[in-house]
Amino acid sequence: MPVRDLLRTSSKLSPFQPRYEHLLLLVCVLGTALPLGVDCNPSAENHQNNGTQKKAFPVLSFDYLHVRLPFEIALWILLASLMKLGFHLIPRLSNIVPESCLLIVVGLLVGGLIKVVGEDPPVLDSKVFFLCLLPPIILDAGYFLPIRAFSENTGTILMFAVIGTLWNSFFMGGMLYAVCQIPGTGLENVGLLPSLLFGSIISAVDPVAVLAVFEEIHINELLHILVFGESLLNDAVTVVLYHLFEEYAGVGSVTFMDVFLGVICFLVVSLGGIFMGILYGLIAAFTSRFTPHTRVIEPLFVFLYSYMAYLSAEVFHLSGIMALIACGVVMRPYVEANISHKSHTTIKYFLKMWSSVSETLIFIFLGVSTVAGPHQWDWTFVGCTLLFCLVSRVLGVIGLTSIINKFRIVKLTTKDQFIIAYGGLRGAIAFSLGFLLDKHHFPMRDMFLTAIITVIFFTVFVQGMTIRPLVELLAVKKKQETKRSINEEIHTQFLDHLLTGIEDVCGHYGHHHWKDKLSRFNKKYIKKCLIAGERSKEPQLIAFYHKMEMKQAIELVESGGIPKIPSAVSTVSMQNIKPKRALPQLSKGKEEEIRNILRSNLQRTRQRLRSYNRHTLMADPYEDAWNQMLIRRQKARQLEKRMTNYLTVPANHPDSPTMMRSRLSSDPQGYSLKLNSGNVPAIVVDPATPQSPESMKLLDESSKPGEEDQGIVMRAKLPESSRTDDNVFPPGEDSPKEQRLIRCLSDPGPPPEEEKDDEYQAFLN
Amino acid sequence: MGCNGSTLAKIHNLDELILETGFSSSHICRLYDRFHALDKDDKGSLNRSDFQNISELAVNPLGDRIINAFFPDGMDLIDFNSFVRILARFRPVDQNPKKEPNAPEPINSRVNKLKFAFQLYDQDKDGKISKNELLQVLRMMLGVQVTEEQLESITDRTIQEADLDGDNAISFKEFKKSLDKVDIEHKMSIRFLR
Repeated sequence: MPVRDLLRTSSKLSPFQPRYEHLLLLVCVLGTALPLGVDCNPSAENHQNNGTQKKAFPVLSFDYLHVRLPFEIALWILLASLMKLGFHLIPRLSNIVPESCLLIVVGLLVGGLIKVVGEDPPVLDSKVFFLCLLPPIILDAGYFLPIRAFSENTGTILMFAVIGTLWNSFFMGGMLYAVCQIPGTGLENVGLLPSLLFGSIISAVDPVAVLAVFEEIHINELLHILVFGESLLNDAVTVVLYHLFEEYAGVGSVTFMDVFLGVICFLVVSLGGIFMGILYGLIAAFTSRFTPHTRVIEPLFVFLYSYMAYLSAEVFHLSGIMALIACGVVMRPYVEANISHKSHTTIKYFLKMWSSVSETLIFIFLGVSTVAGPHQWDWTFVGCTLLFCLVSRVLGVIGLTSIINKFRIVKLTTKDQFIIAYGGLRGAIAFSLGFLLDKHHFPMRDMFLTAIITVIFFTVFVQGMTIRPLVELLAVKKKQETKRSINEEIHTQFLDHLLTGIEDVCGHYGHHHWKDKLSRFNKKYIKKCLIAGERSKEPQLIAFYHKMEMKQAIELVESGGIPKIPSAVSTVSMQNIKPKRALPQLSKGKEEEIRNILRSNLQRTRQRLRSYNRHTLMADPYEDAWNQMLIRRQKARQLEKRMTNYLTVPANHPDSPTMMRSRLSSDPQGYSLKLNSGNVPAIVVDPATPQSPESMKLLDESSKPGEEDQGIVMRAKLPESSRTDDNVFPPGEDSPKEQRLIRCLSDPGPPPEEEKDDEYQAFLN
Repeated sequence: MGCNGSTLAKIHNLDELILETGFSSSHICRLYDRFHALDKDDKGSLNRSDFQNISELAVNPLGDRIINAFFPDGMDLIDFNSFVRILARFRPVDQNPKKEPNAPEPINSRVNKLKFAFQLYDQDKDGKISKNELLQVLRMMLGVQVTEEQLESITDRTIQEADLDGDNAISFKEFKKSLDKVDIEHKMSIRFLR
């Protein structure tokens, strides 16, 4: 039945799949070899027969019905994931066709096969969709929402979301009603209210489709946030309009009072949803304050509270999407300050995994439902729907932009407008809402569904496929890949203060003023409540700086021996670094020292996701870095004998971590800068100089690596030199960099917190 | 508080001001009203204490520097025209500038905005942001929560990152370059001044 067909399908569709999949199929087929329509239950039979006749004890029995539901669910998810795998094995295909299109095609094929066999293909159940498939995607989007871009463009986004959607709905509904009234089309039974209802369903831009398509084209952040923000925030409008028209379509008329109540309802729905989200977000943040001793379940809190926010909002028919977004946004800064690094990674990976699987399933089911669903094709209706969709979107965007541009500092160009209009994709939400319609109240429901599916197909296939070449053709600005430098961070903060001051001089309470007030309030009251311990007082700049230093330290460690430093941690992907499994043996004492030093000097990294690309996951720097560091230690020890006294290697090379550690443990006074000769002071370490006994041990084994290493930028003095460091500037333009890094690493940083012990212990073990 | 002819008439060289700063007359009117609201003693010009009376500036970490920026060349009083000229820098950039080949750079161009910001860093006006100046600014912004060593290392790191010619200070060119990716036209504009 469905299972067997699925298996057959997957084997047919993907001839390029590696062999293991065929093995899997074989196993599955063998496991479900017997006809599944049978209600066979051997154990029950045996009970019956016991009284009459003794049968042989069943050594192997088959009982599929027992596990049927979870089995099929798992199989569907497996199919979805294997499809995803398959697509990326065919690089040419995935460059031309967006993944969502391919998944819909797969769904079509699967549905077709199921139908051919004679079974009823499963339809995308609206309840499953809204309660299980949609929340992970929205949470993923909300948790990683770029706040700065979003808050700077909030006005624009709200305009598009609210006014744009209203315009689309009424325009579409009205025009369709007009068309239906034309005698001869056979559609006279489509009343005004059903038309408006249909308009409201079809007019909403879908976040799932937008995410799926836009994230592949890497468009610049402004356009991305505009279209995506619009798709998220129009949920409230859609909910209200849908309920309003659905309620009253049965009655047949809408009075002015109803409209007025509708407006109130809209405010309640959106603000209520946001409030619900904020409430749960604050509770989640507060809870995370107490989790230092139970790190393992930290991610669970994040997921559960967010899901509860969504469900609670749905209880009151508020906007669940807005609740989810608000919860994620509010929760994030505080939770991230409280939880461990590993929990953070877990949350990130789980969210991406779930949202990815959800998205895949949604598109596949969309395809299957197309085959399954009851259809009623009407050329006029469908054609007009499509036409009016496009027209209303274009008109809406142009009209709104002309109003918005009066208030924007950086205006939207025609190119921007085109992309915004073109990016208005419809998706599964529209289908699900249409599916929820009651057949009795809406006899033309099948026609609606057909039209909705046609529009979805058109937008996803045609618009989705052509948007990439269009973006190239129009030379729209792409996303900037580089990370922020500390310069940018400092100057941006500086400018924030400056602009706030100027606004105050002008007496104008603008954007900066309120942002400043909010951050002041945040620092004074909220952070104290919600963030545990010392971290609540840490200024953002310091956190950023430490994160940066950490990243660079790890980069330098990883690049030791390689001529170039990778420019960003993200380039050091899992594929590039193969962690060497053979770790050198360290004595317990050394390990303890290393741990102490690391603990007191390194801060944990906050991998803030700066861009939206859902497929790019950064490697966990700790794991690889640690392995690499240990390897290098051993290498350094080995090369101890072959050092030269004077080794100046100007290169982009890091100091070996062992040297860094040795310096850290020795007398910090010795490292103060003395501007002596030369432009730039440098630090010189005397490896053989007896300093503290502790450091002596480390120094012995840490040495300057030999010539082949090319990794040390410093000068070694002969043993009889003085205790303190000399400051002589070695030639080489990059050595200052390392020296500064070294100095930075010697920076004590904020006092270490006790939870770090657990984390590092756990990590090191 | 209306923008009428009499208000405009009180302003010297109105046309010249409009031409130079690019403000419209309604903007200038509004600024004039604000100028007078700040000018408690009605002397027709502002001194430092008038600025210090603005309560929000007192909590702003860069408050003093901003006030000093309004008093160039060590003067103690500022008249309306200079007031407007300084604020003109924060006008949003014109989308389609009419480019005459010999026309001077408009006062609110990106370069001029950056120059203004640079001047706030560079107190001794030697054209470079030295380590000490940067350190002072960071201290003002980060307050007492940060240790000296941290500040030092941040400063060193910042200079090292931006410094291209190796003089251990940030010149205006380097400053401009380090802010290449930041949308200055957006960041350093006030919507009010349209």
